Amino acid sequence: MDAQKVDMFIMTNGKFFESHQIGQIRERLLVLDESKWPMIQSLPLKDPSTSLIVSILGGSMGIDRFIIGDTGIGVGKLLTCGGFGIWTIIDWFMIQGATREKNMQKLQQFLY
Amino acid sequence: MTSTRNRLYLLLALACTAGYIWLFINLPNAESSPDVCMIKHVTGIPCPSCGSTRSITSLLHGDVTGSLFWNPMGILILLIMLIAPVWITGDVLLKKQTLFSFYQQFEKTLQQRRVAIPAIALVLLNWIWNIHKGL
Repeated sequence: MDAQKVDMFIMTNGKFFESHQIGQIRERLLVLDESKWPMIQSLPLKDPSTSLIVSILGGSMGIDRFIIGDTGIGVGKLLTCGGFGIWTIIDWFMIQGATREKNMQKLQQFLY
Repeated sequence: MTSTRNRLYLLLALACTAGYIWLFINLPNAESSPDVCMIKHVTGIPCPSCGSTRSITSLLHGDVTGSLFWNPMGILILLIMLIAPVWITGDVLLKKQTLFSFYQQFEKTLQQRRVAIPAIALVLLNWIWNIHKGL
């Protein structure tokens, strides 16, 4: 794919991925076919900051996990009052990484 | 793939262990209200799953209606706590991943709109009932 397009994608969407994944994403995008560009551009990526806010407000009910697509874990948190409150606190620190990981999974379907 | 499977099994096993320890502590007094819920401490209103401990302890004392009254979610939790350890042990021993594929299937089903909306509505109704009961 065109280097300019790839750099534009990295600049606008860099914050949605772990920093150590950026280089790999850039490399894969450069060799990717042009026809996949519209799909990659319209991927529903989730903002880590948003999920952190949701985690602080509704983490005890697992809403943060539901939002990023971890439905199973969300149900677990909902059923156990946010894992006796302990899991809620752990997720305040984990949710941003988990969101970036989920975003990477979404992008990976197109990269390989 | 195996690492995600193992992580899920570890998480479930830990959750079940914590659940059994919690249940063991609370089993003697079915009617008391153990206060660990963050939402209840912060806002004063009970959360959707408040009362599950009382529900499970009353069920174990043979009081089915009491269990349903405290919180129907407790019965669901007890079912998971009974089934999950057996299923995990079986999967680990036989080196299969039936529970993991079931979990993925479950996630996919729950993300469909026609399943998700009734589920959310049920949880909300249960929550309103919880607040109304004043748990």
